[in-house]
Amino acid sequence: MGTNKSPDLLPGTLDLLVLKTLARGRMHGYGISQHLKSISDEVLEVGESSLYPALQRLLLNGYAEAEWGVSENNRRARYYTLTPDGRKQLTAERKEFDRMILAIQKALA
Amino acid sequence: MKLFRRIRFWLRARQNAADLAEEIEFHRSMGGGPANTTMGNTTLAREDARAVWIWPWLESVMQDFRYALRNLRSHPGFALVAIAALGTTIGLTISLFSVFNAVALRPWPVDDPSHVFNILALNDRRQPSGFSLAEFRYLAANSKTFTGMIAQRDNQNVDLADSKAACSWVSASYFRVLGVGMRAGRGFLPEEDDPEAPQAVVVVSDAFWSARLGSDPRAVGRTIRVEETPFTVVGIAASDFTGTTPGPVDLYVPMAAASILQPSAAWMKAFLTSPDHCCSRVAGRMARGLSKQQGEAELGVLHNQFQNQMHQESRGVRLEGTAFIATGKKDKIVPIFAMMFLGVTLVLLLACANVGNLLLARAAARRREISVRLSLGASRTRLIRQLLTESLVLAILASGLGLASAYWLPPLVFRYAVSDVLSFRLTPDTTVYFFALGVSFVVCLMFGLAPALAGTRTGNTRHRLRGVLLAAQVALSVMLLAGASLLVRGIQKARMQDPGFQISGVSIASFELPASSYDAARTRSFFEQLTRELQGNSDNRIGLARLAPLGRATNWNSFRMPGETDKQRKMVVAHDANAGYFDVLGIPILAGRNFAASDADRKVILVNETFAQRFFNGDALGKSVVMNGPTEIVGIVKDAYTRGLDEIDATIYSPITGNAIPLALFRSAPESADRLKAVLQQLEPRARMSVTPLSDNLDQWLRASQAGASIAAALGMFALVLATIGMFGVFAFWVEQRRTEIGVRMALGARPSQVIRLVVGASSRSVAVGLIIGFAGAIGASRLLVRFLYGLSPLDPTAYAGVAIVLGAAGLAATYLPARRATKIDPMTALRCD
Repeated sequence: MGTNKSPDLLPGTLDLLVLKTLARGRMHGYGISQHLKSISDEVLEVGESSLYPALQRLLLNGYAEAEWGVSENNRRARYYTLTPDGRKQLTAERKEFDRMILAIQKALA
Repeated sequence: MKLFRRIRFWLRARQNAADLAEEIEFHRSMGGGPANTTMGNTTLAREDARAVWIWPWLESVMQDFRYALRNLRSHPGFALVAIAALGTTIGLTISLFSVFNAVALRPWPVDDPSHVFNILALNDRRQPSGFSLAEFRYLAANSKTFTGMIAQRDNQNVDLADSKAACSWVSASYFRVLGVGMRAGRGFLPEEDDPEAPQAVVVVSDAFWSARLGSDPRAVGRTIRVEETPFTVVGIAASDFTGTTPGPVDLYVPMAAASILQPSAAWMKAFLTSPDHCCSRVAGRMARGLSKQQGEAELGVLHNQFQNQMHQESRGVRLEGTAFIATGKKDKIVPIFAMMFLGVTLVLLLACANVGNLLLARAAARRREISVRLSLGASRTRLIRQLLTESLVLAILASGLGLASAYWLPPLVFRYAVSDVLSFRLTPDTTVYFFALGVSFVVCLMFGLAPALAGTRTGNTRHRLRGVLLAAQVALSVMLLAGASLLVRGIQKARMQDPGFQISGVSIASFELPASSYDAARTRSFFEQLTRELQGNSDNRIGLARLAPLGRATNWNSFRMPGETDKQRKMVVAHDANAGYFDVLGIPILAGRNFAASDADRKVILVNETFAQRFFNGDALGKSVVMNGPTEIVGIVKDAYTRGLDEIDATIYSPITGNAIPLALFRSAPESADRLKAVLQQLEPRARMSVTPLSDNLDQWLRASQAGASIAAALGMFALVLATIGMFGVFAFWVEQRRTEIGVRMALGARPSQVIRLVVGASSRSVAVGLIIGFAGAIGASRLLVRFLYGLSPLDPTAYAGVAIVLGAAGLAATYLPARRATKIDPMTALRCD
């Protein structure tokens, strides 16, 4: 599905990263991708063709809500906020992710 | 919740797509220059993001549908039987609904029909009636709740130069208020409806324009001769306007122009101007944002004001929608529809039980498949959804078939049952489509849910459900057959019944006189002369009557006893007749005398037995009642079903007046019609005459009920076939399942008769329960039929015995083959099979 610029991401990881990013507060799509890029020392470069489906999935599952607002440079931008459900999902996915990483590390050790 | 969000997304699909496009555009512009390679194809990104909302869900639904279709295709026999049974019954249901829709739901084909109402005044019997034209003008001028009003008279046949046409008199406001445009021409001008200055102008219907004026592009401005007067065509009505009366209309003329069409009619001036001259139908377009109650209240006040000026009492105004049924025919039409819906619903239930049984048998056959899927981890809900999707596919295919039949079945039945040309728009519209869709969902749940639940259950409860379905089929078919046989017996009884007067060998002649030169006095003297000429040399008498026996119209009149007030007036059937009427129809005079020539200017009446019994305890002769003035009862005649075969009404016979052209009744002999014609031509060369046998009226009278009985009989037969197939299926399946058991029994020495008893006995309890419920239900429901039975008891033993015999035969037929197959089971083969 589309061009994923982070081929090394485990399936479902992008949703987790976006959730985590949104946990910091209201953000628009471009802001999310910039945040992920800078926080990972430019390793995670999330293209729009994976970011926006991921955001739509969050909306569909009720983990996030979207509303139009004004961006830093005074343009109309769509801002995403985490819902309580989203927060719960973040914790759950986080746990699952840790379990997975642990398992992989064990397997590779 | 997820489904809800999904639906909300699709409800605002366009907005959401725009949002996505905008935010991706924003993202892109923030990202900067062309060197940025993270920017892929934005359209693709948008599509992928949107796909999140549909994909998995739609895919699984599509998968279910594909699977269902494949499954049906691999069992064509089952699919055909199920679709045929359901399609036929759903077709009946949809057809009935589309007739109901045309009669009761569809408003007039006018602009914004939801604001157009029929306006009815309540008369002293609190029944809705119309208004005088004077009052119509008063209401139209003073109402604030209505932006416009129209008045209309029922269609009349008029003579054109070479043919006849249906003509309706309407107020000049008609087309403007209804928002009906002109295909060509200007329509009526307000000043063309002035009683003081009538204009000979006419608007023609689109159908008339194309059929009779040859679609002449210059038709507007042409003149056509109506009743020998040239009328100027001022408009051709829009092609989709089919009129506001049940019958088709060819010509519309302004009310005032009626005085041009019938210059010598004595009542014309009163009709156009007098506040007392009832009644024209009035309708209006209500201002937006007002309620029906506000309109009723305002018109009630105006009506009261107007009636008070005339020193009359008013009893309120009622507003009704413009669907056909609203025009005072509700009481007659609704019970008929209720009954037919009941019958059709029973058949639909029967078909559902039938198909449900087939599905159940299939579920048993698919037991292995289902348990494999369950053990592979499919959830039960998922499997139920799958099975229900199969049922839905069946139901939708059947509804499609049903909808197709709704295009041709209602017009066909209508043509058979109703002799009048009615311009109902029977073609299914959106309402009917939605109904069809609704029916397929309901039906799908009715026949699909129980087998789906039972089929995915791991325990073994299936025998009970099959028994219930069998009992339901038997019960439903008993009820349908009982209803049908009661109706058929009822119509038989009506046919055999002695109507109390001579029908065969009597003919009716109806006349047309040039309306322009015959007023009441001249009409009366003309017919006196006609009967004198004809009777002069023989005792072959001629009966004259205003209305024919068993005709479609009935005349009612009111009377009171001397000393009573006008408020105590009672309504009775009123016939105008001459002395010959009783001779020709063979209605004996029981007491007193017949009309005599000397009665012409005296106020005398004859009454029938029922009248004498009801109002005078039989002792009516020589008594007086007050009609227009004191009137003496000079004779009592024997009761006869002259109005209709359903019951005898208290009836008054008054001497013929000249107010309407009477009909002539005479004993048909080869030369009598010719002689009548000869005398008529000699007295008035412009007169025309047509003769029909009186038995035509009887046929017509019985026709609607006969159509009803035929429909009921057809439904009953159809139900019987469905039930027989259903029972056959159950027995055959039972035998198939018990092959081994039967084989063992036969190996152990069971005789064929014992095997047959086993087969029959297995379902006998369900059948017995079904029979009991069915007969109880039929007896309970038969009360609803009373008004269609012509006096036959709803508990008529013959009808019920007939049902029992027919059903018994069907049951035998259904068990015979399976039972025979059971006795032919070879024990060895059966045992080796498993």
